[in-house]
Amino acid sequence: MSTLLTVISVNDGKIKRSSLEVLSRCNELAADNGLKSAALVIDANASDIAEKLKEYGPDTIYTIENPIFKNHLNTPVLKALSTALDHIQPQLVAFPSTESSKDVLGALAANKEAAALSDMSEFELTENGVKGKRPVMASKIISAVEATGSPVIISVRSGSYDAVEKSSDASIEAIDFNFNDDELRITLKEIISSSSDRVDLSEAEAVVAAGRGVKDEEGRNMISELASILNAGIGASRALTEAGDYDPSLQIGQTGKVVSPQLYIGVAISGAIQHVAGMANSKVIVAINKDPDAPIFDIADYGLVGDLYKILPPFIEELKKIKQN
Amino acid sequence: MKFYVCIKQVPDVYAPLQIKDGQLIQDADRNVLNAYDASAVEEALVLTEQHGGEVEVVLAGPEKAKETLRKALAMGAHKGTHIVTNGDEEFDSSAYAKILAKFFSDKEYDFISCGKQSQDTDAGLAGSMMAELLDLPYATNAVDLKFSDGTLTVKRQGDAGQEIIDVPSPGLVTCSNDMNDPRIPSLKGIMQSKRKPVDTISLDDLGADISSDEVKTKVLGFEEKPEREAGKKYEGEPDEIAREVAQLLDTEENVI
Ligand SMILES: Cc1cc2nc3c(=O)[nH]c(=O)nc-3n(C[C@H](O)[C@H](O)[C@H](O)COP(=O)(O)OP(=O)(O)OC[C@H]3O[C@@H](n4cnc5c(N)ncnc54)[C@H](O)[C@@H]3O)c2cc1C
Ligand SMILES: Nc1ncnc2c1ncn2[C@@H]1O[C@H](COP(=O)(O)O)[C@@H](O)[C@H]1O
Repeated sequence: MSTLLTVISVNDGKIKRSSLEVLSRCNELAADNGLKSAALVIDANASDIAEKLKEYGPDTIYTIENPIFKNHLNTPVLKALSTALDHIQPQLVAFPSTESSKDVLGALAANKEAAALSDMSEFELTENGVKGKRPVMASKIISAVEATGSPVIISVRSGSYDAVEKSSDASIEAIDFNFNDDELRITLKEIISSSSDRVDLSEAEAVVAAGRGVKDEEGRNMISELASILNAGIGASRALTEAGDYDPSLQIGQTGKVVSPQLYIGVAISGAIQHVAGMANSKVIVAINKDPDAPIFDIADYGLVGDLYKILPPFIEELKKIKQN
Repeated sequence: MKFYVCIKQVPDVYAPLQIKDGQLIQDADRNVLNAYDASAVEEALVLTEQHGGEVEVVLAGPEKAKETLRKALAMGAHKGTHIVTNGDEEFDSSAYAKILAKFFSDKEYDFISCGKQSQDTDAGLAGSMMAELLDLPYATNAVDLKFSDGTLTVKRQGDAGQEIIDVPSPGLVTCSNDMNDPRIPSLKGIMQSKRKPVDTISLDDLGADISSDEVKTKVLGFEEKPEREAGKKYEGEPDEIAREVAQLLDTEENVI
């Protein structure tokens, strides 16, 4: 029986929600089409992760465990993926879109002479491949796309599907894998992570995003306070990541991350298409901007026109009251 | 140090667009140098200014894409190669990666630099595909590059933070536009670009004729994205509107 394979993304020992979204979609497609849904975990602690995955219903969980996967490095990850694909022979390989999967998607496709489609927002199976949708032109429009062959390799935007729990008695199978340091070719020297203790943006239920108008420490403190009341992830526009006021990993948009929270609050963000590309799928959008004609108001459910320095204090105070009750 | 930078001409996302019967209608004359590739050109120029060497830009695209090659030369790239396509082949990232890999197969260089993605399609595939086809070590999504002793030190934006990675020569890197602000060509640069050497080669010459069934991904059509309606705008006394919206987020939306 042919297999739909979801490659699980793990961050700091935790399964990324976006992987479970993709897995849930593959479970559904497998059930509809009489196929097998399998998950692949490539991690330093793959067997622990595999246990947790049982709650999300794959038929089989493949693991490749090796200390080399403690940090992302494309050479060993590619070798592991290639080994796994040879072993499993899936007809579809689906990744959640992450910086790590983007790093290897093209190389894996070239290695397997397979068709690749990145950053899909919808996908389904066809007779001889996959079809679906992906946003293009800075997410101004959607393009319908198709890929043929076996396997087809895709990545899926976070928030495109719901992660659905489904208990299973999946079998766990470890795949043999060896890696020598002399195969590395590239050397990871250091990881600078300044946001490790914060809420993961792409998974956050609420996001507070700061834009150019947040111009001083007072403004940034209010952003932090608002985020902490809402247990929100902090994001930023390119204007502020470029200025060095916010960590580059917090950028939301075409270059940055895609977020799809229940609540997005944009503070002094104009709403450039490249920013909107990363947040338009938020459920409720609140915009605070002093320019009544700012484009962000075209997509905001609640548009607060005014100076952030005057609006945020009472807004924060009122939210605190609500939280206390 | 020899840098090759792969640059692509893409439609300007700011040009008005329209969808008719699933087809995208846009002004065919409004094209730009892919923003991510402009950052790759800029960084290669900075590094060769510091360490000596040469930057050559390579573009695969139709005749009219030559203007984009000229733009990169006007920024300061030393020479260019234009691999001419018909423009109606519907090539995907994989097809371009194969064409470019074929071009590089008999070239000598320290590094090939690409954009991290095309600004119009956001595919982000051709760079690492080329690395695999050419068997080069690579790093993607670079936000900073440094060069010393034949090694490129890449700061890449990863999931867990910024990863500092050494890529030996010959290697490949894909660049984010978070890397720099690409220079605007000066008048002098524009004048000089007209005298800079540009090689023009056909897919035939290159032996890289890609047949249509080798192209395994296809665009079937375009559609509007679901319209998001503007909600309500609150103007007036900051204190009042702030509290009102805070309450509504709780009572109406249940998101607090
Ligand atoms: C290829 C490409 C990719 C890009 N990718 C991204 C991306 O991933 N993410 C991203 O964000 N951008 C991206 N950009 C940049 C994008 O085009 C915009 O330049 C950027 O989003 C602008 O940020 P901003 O809204 O904070 O700043 P601005 O556009 O300058 O807007 C600031 C807003 O703040 C308001 N304001 C100022 N002061 C106050 C105040 N006191 N109170 C209330 N409101 C105030 C102003 O009215 C204004 O609307 C990309 C661009 C390109 C070309
Ligand atoms: N036709 C092309 N000519 C030159 N470079 C290209 C071409 N297509 C893609 N590239 C390079 O590959 C990168 C990624 O492309 P893509 O896979 O389309 O997102 C681009 O930023 C360019 O650097």
